[in-house]
Amino acid sequence: MPEIILKEVTKRFGKFVAVDRLNLTIGDGDFVTLLGPSGCGKTTTLRMIAGLESPTEGEILIDGKTVFSSKSGVDVSPDKRDVGFLFQNYALWPHMTVEQNISFGLENLKWEKDRIRTRVAQLLATLKIGQFGKRYPSELSGGQQQRVAIARTLATGPKVLFMDEPLSNLDAKLRTEMRTELKRLHVETDSTFVYVTHDQLEAMTLSTKTCLMKEGVLQQYEPPLSVYNNPANLFVADFVGSPTINLIEGRGRNVNLDDIKLIADGIDMIFSPVSGSITLREDQEIVLGIRPEYVKIGDSGKMRARVYSTLPSGMETIVKIRVGGQLLTSVVFGAIDFDVDEEVGVEFLGERCVVFDKETGINLALGRLGIV
Amino acid sequence: MTIGNRAKSFFRKPHNLILVTLAIALSFLTLFPLISLAKDTFIVHPSELMSVRGSHVGDVTLFHWKKVFASGETSMKMFYMPLWNSAKTSLGSCAIAILLGGSVAWLVTRSDIRWKPFISVVFIFPYVMPSWTLAMAWINFFRNRLIGGAPGLFTALTGIETANWFAYGVFPIIVVQGLHYAPFAYILIGGILRNMDANLEEAATILKASRLKILSRITLPIVMPAVLSTFLLVFSSCMSSFAVPAFLGTPVRFQVLTTQLYRTLNGINPGYGYIMALVMIAIGTLILAANQLFVGKRKSFTTVTGKSSNISLVKLRGARLPLSILLVGFAATISILPLVTFAVESFIMAPGDYSFGNLTTQFWIGEGREDIGGGEPGILLNKYIYLGLWNSVKLSLVVSLVAGTIGGLAGYAIVKARGTRLSALVNNLAFFPYLMPSMAFGAIYLSMFGKPTLLLPSLYGTFALLVLVGTVKYLPFASRAGVNAMLQLSNEIEESALIMGIPWWKRMARIIFPIQKTSFLSGYLLPFISCMRELALFVILIVPANRVLTSMLFQYNEKGWNQYANAINLLIVLIVLAFNTIINKATGASIDKGIGG
Repeated sequence: MPEIILKEVTKRFGKFVAVDRLNLTIGDGDFVTLLGPSGCGKTTTLRMIAGLESPTEGEILIDGKTVFSSKSGVDVSPDKRDVGFLFQNYALWPHMTVEQNISFGLENLKWEKDRIRTRVAQLLATLKIGQFGKRYPSELSGGQQQRVAIARTLATGPKVLFMDEPLSNLDAKLRTEMRTELKRLHVETDSTFVYVTHDQLEAMTLSTKTCLMKEGVLQQYEPPLSVYNNPANLFVADFVGSPTINLIEGRGRNVNLDDIKLIADGIDMIFSPVSGSITLREDQEIVLGIRPEYVKIGDSGKMRARVYSTLPSGMETIVKIRVGGQLLTSVVFGAIDFDVDEEVGVEFLGERCVVFDKETGINLALGRLGIV
Repeated sequence: MTIGNRAKSFFRKPHNLILVTLAIALSFLTLFPLISLAKDTFIVHPSELMSVRGSHVGDVTLFHWKKVFASGETSMKMFYMPLWNSAKTSLGSCAIAILLGGSVAWLVTRSDIRWKPFISVVFIFPYVMPSWTLAMAWINFFRNRLIGGAPGLFTALTGIETANWFAYGVFPIIVVQGLHYAPFAYILIGGILRNMDANLEEAATILKASRLKILSRITLPIVMPAVLSTFLLVFSSCMSSFAVPAFLGTPVRFQVLTTQLYRTLNGINPGYGYIMALVMIAIGTLILAANQLFVGKRKSFTTVTGKSSNISLVKLRGARLPLSILLVGFAATISILPLVTFAVESFIMAPGDYSFGNLTTQFWIGEGREDIGGGEPGILLNKYIYLGLWNSVKLSLVVSLVAGTIGGLAGYAIVKARGTRLSALVNNLAFFPYLMPSMAFGAIYLSMFGKPTLLLPSLYGTFALLVLVGTVKYLPFASRAGVNAMLQLSNEIEESALIMGIPWWKRMARIIFPIQKTSFLSGYLLPFISCMRELALFVILIVPANRVLTSMLFQYNEKGWNQYANAINLLIVLIVLAFNTIINKATGASIDKGIGG
């Protein structure tokens, strides 16, 4: 069963470090997304696993077999790694018809003509592009080209499938549609998917595990909801989630047994950790992270705020409120309209407010937040 | 709207005004000459009175056509053999240029060969240098005693006498032209390879295709349209090249169409020459038509934009170092060695004797001596050389200024009015001179402006005629550069200025030109360089008063004053290379932008 293991993988382009000592295990049947802003090394990582790029240092194993090792000098070429690769721009061969594109890989496997024909027909049907078999890629729309590319990649039945931002060239509606299809495909083909994206929503909705990277360094590798609810650091918290998390700078110190007293922008708060006790230095600088859905606005609530602007989108409403000098984001279910500058009460809900150390950005604790 | 108002609103747009002016001017300067040339093929010229019995000057006759096409042995010798020779050498040169240029392009863009910056700069030197540079170098190296005169460096160094077929005629012409146009193929094919998405090849790798299969099934089919159009452009350039066959073919009476054209036009039968010029133009037009057939076909190369940045280079592994050294050595040999031979040849007293004692500065700074070269002083003391140099620079500057500016405006107007018939007409008219072989183009202008035409007096022998012919001939380079520059510029950029009420000239000077400075400047650079090294275009229009460096070089060479010719050649090459480098460093404009079509 294919399991992919990366050990201390580093890639340097000249002096620039694209990927820095990456350790990663991708389990069999996983749908792993490599997520991060552009230039964080996610595509390079994918290309290194596929064999299109050679790491500067480290070791890569696929299915227990070493495919790259800087120590022993092993570097198995991509065609011998038994993987599929879906390119961002599809990389369909412009001089071949849809059928020729799909059958090319099968010809290389020396399949018989009849078998190839059956397989191509089957794929065309699965991906609902049956009527385009004789056309050239330039005669297809973006979504159709995308399907051809998927068919070509699936044709040889690879157990591991790599995808490099395959949906980024599609329009919003088509993208949502293809996401659904990809998720089904993952289950139907029973293979391992490694998927590169910079779209956190895509990572959230598709993957079983998300690998978040920044400047070549792994930030967090966990199921998407864990990443969302318990971000390892400030960067992760800020990158994942839409609308983005509220970040408030302040100072904190231990009071009582476990509780922490926080002062941010003139507001006194008590933070009760639920993830284990923490100890702060006296007046340690911290950053408080509160997801918009935990900011409740209404008539009650000790803290008073003014509505800055309201963005109703039908199903939900994003409300920006001003508390002291801070702008906070709140999400309310349903369409509610507030007047600009209307006064509202604010409360923080739930047990998932996060305290980060300001200096290192590290997640110190999850907990309840109350306003004093 | 009344017609008057319609016209007013039409001409209120500057690009329409430019298009109409250019359509009229270019028709006059390209189509009209063509008609006049065709007419000349049916007319008895003064020098032909003897051969066309009982005729008067200006009589209509089919004599020339019969002689050229249907007079058995005469036609064979005069037309069919040279045509066949032209085709033969051009095909051979194409093969060398494409194989060599294509391979180097692949190595530089797709493999991990070393010293790429050096290779990509030095490898295109032969194209920047005048075409005969390599031909002269070949003669310097390999000339033999069989033709008369002293043997070349090769014989002097090794003692081996070179064979005639090796030193002159078909073989060296093919090799030299192939080397000269290899950079051209390198630039065109390299451009496609660079733009071709590397993912296309990687996708095939992942699907377990072998290297060979990827090359034959993916890479080659995709670059094939570019290779074909390179083939056609190189072929037509070779067909119309004059200097190389003139240097390498004439010693063994090997004639091609262009040399034959030169002989007939300068001889007593200009009528024959005009017919040959027409044939050459017809070939050029056919080639362009063929080229356009390949573009825009169903299967043709589609530009799928994507990130092509992460190209993984093919590892040459064991072959990397030897291949790199070989390529660097080769590039240096064809680019730098010729210059060394010119220097050497220009410093020796008695040709063929390369001993130290035979070195002299006579041909550079010596006073004139009765026994050498008709008493001419060294070229740095020769006021005629300075006059020629001044003429060359003056001509190139004026031509580049006029052609560059008109080409830039043409590009602006063509792109602005894209899709209209007028725009397509001007685009084609501005490109048409590219198809006309330089020699034929010169012939046309000689035929047309040699006598008073319409409002113009006879321009024969004037500087203005040289400027005119140079401007029209090099307009394609400039207009291509202009069109390319404008295509990359979104229309909104000008429109946002238009809305603010900024006048047209200010929009051009302050917004459009500065943004696309390098592309537009390439449109000035190409005509300048081409003009500095041009021979075929001017050679039949030049009179002693307006000699340019290249025509003087040609004359010295014809007289067999080898050292002077080499010295002048070195001078031209150095000026051209210096100019190219300065402009390139200062502005980023370069000769490889805007080439092709």
